Amino acid sequence: MATGYAPPSMYRSQEGMGIWEHRGKVAAVGVGHSPTERRWDERPETSVGAWSIMALRNAIADAGVSPDQVDGLVIVPATTTGAFWPKDKPLPQDVINSFVQTDDPLDGIAKLSVEWLLKNMPELTNINYSVYAPVCMSNALNVAAQAVGDGLAHTVLVLKAWHNLEGRYYQGGQNAQESIAGTSAMTSLWGAPACYGTALQFAEYCRKYGKDHDMMTPFIINSRRNGLMFPEGYWAQHRPEELTAEDYQLARWIAKPANLFDNDIPIMCAASYLFTTAERAKDMKQKPVYILNHADSDAVPRGLTPTLEEVEAECALTGRKIYEGAGITVDDLSFENMYDGFTQFHQFHIEGLGYRGIELGEALDFYQTDISIEGPNPVSPSGGNIGSGRSRFWMHTDSIQQLQGRAGGRQITGVNAEIGVSGGPMPLGGNYTVWSATPD
Amino acid sequence: MAILISFDIDGTMEIGDPPGPVTLKMVKAARAKGIITGSCSDRPMSAQRAIWEEYGIEYDFVCYKHLLSDLKNQFEVGEYFHVGDRDDLDRKYAIRAGFGFFWPAEAAENPLLL
Repeated sequence: MATGYAPPSMYRSQEGMGIWEHRGKVAAVGVGHSPTERRWDERPETSVGAWSIMALRNAIADAGVSPDQVDGLVIVPATTTGAFWPKDKPLPQDVINSFVQTDDPLDGIAKLSVEWLLKNMPELTNINYSVYAPVCMSNALNVAAQAVGDGLAHTVLVLKAWHNLEGRYYQGGQNAQESIAGTSAMTSLWGAPACYGTALQFAEYCRKYGKDHDMMTPFIINSRRNGLMFPEGYWAQHRPEELTAEDYQLARWIAKPANLFDNDIPIMCAASYLFTTAERAKDMKQKPVYILNHADSDAVPRGLTPTLEEVEAECALTGRKIYEGAGITVDDLSFENMYDGFTQFHQFHIEGLGYRGIELGEALDFYQTDISIEGPNPVSPSGGNIGSGRSRFWMHTDSIQQLQGRAGGRQITGVNAEIGVSGGPMPLGGNYTVWSATPD
Repeated sequence: MAILISFDIDGTMEIGDPPGPVTLKMVKAARAKGIITGSCSDRPMSAQRAIWEEYGIEYDFVCYKHLLSDLKNQFEVGEYFHVGDRDDLDRKYAIRAGFGFFWPAEAAENPLLL
């Protein structure tokens, strides 16, 4: 069974498509996580492959199904954005030999294939549909929801995993080459840090609306606080450090006005969710969380870096697509879990949603109000990447757990958890899911 | 003449992530010599304080490594040193602030810490 990437037809990229045809007919039930680590210690049992298997098995167990009930697999094959196996470093043969191999020796170590997973999870005996999603869990969720809705599979595991190697992030791969190919030759030519484009947009945002970087402080403190109540997350597991205003405001610039704590920490981790039909979900172990819509942003910027105007227009368009397909309005949102890694994405996303009635240029003022999980306007109850490390999936796990009533210490209490939205990463180029406690 | 030594944490001290060669015992030894000690790391300053307190080691300061020059204004001593593992951060900021600089392995063998 050859696995390819999901076709464009699986995404809901256009405005005007109407209510999603499978609204409320697809549900998330099981959630499975691996532990987290800062970097791989090069043991087989902590490899990205091993932790992916662990996350998948945990999701199966959490949903209360048997492995042979699973008939679909949606995974993201890329497991890093900046940690590449050095060309001159010997392959970890003992790790490779610990698993059933594919033709690629780094499969399960610095990348993942469906073939590798199926070779190493013999209990998955009935997979008859598999597909790859690029980049993020956010994308894979869109694909999985559509696949279940379209009847391509009825019980689907969705997986995203991350590896991180010793040494510095973003120093290997194409950044270490003598030459660089494609459009990266233009965007990466001067070695700017990854957050610089967002920082430029945020600088313009502050100028346009008369805001400043310190106004991000309550968001940062809130995100870390929520993250420390996320037992699956990196900071909660390894360094339970709160952030203070002093900690944040004095930190060094990475790309001014984005400082160290506006960036997320690269880690190792894996997460999986079990999606199924609403009908099948009724008989499973956990409360179903129904999917009301999924939406895709596929905008291409006019220049090397999107302008503030492009970002604002695209986020507004994304918000309209989210609501249109779900058949809801902004007033129906109990909470939002939009992307935050870099923190300065978040105000663009929630202004695009018009969350709690905020308009352009108002998010940072909104941050000065009660945005806690105890208040009426919870912002990023997951804590996101800032609260738990770079995974781009905490927001989804939290959304599911909030609506299942099992978010633990993070459970929102100022408002009933009924409908939430999560997704990202980029304002131009993201995927979003609308979750609901009920199917209609 | 008084001496001040600031320690980076990750990649420098044994309690860092990754661990480095500078031990807490060495910091205690420096303090026993009357050397002013503390940390200058990228870790949150509140977390730096918590680390010293967790291990029961007195400290005179915590700061971010890019603020070494501010630290120099706070303490009037004869010699200032920073110990760290990053050329583009620790060494750069140390030189910029007029500090002497030790790589972690060098510091671990320096009589000031023994």
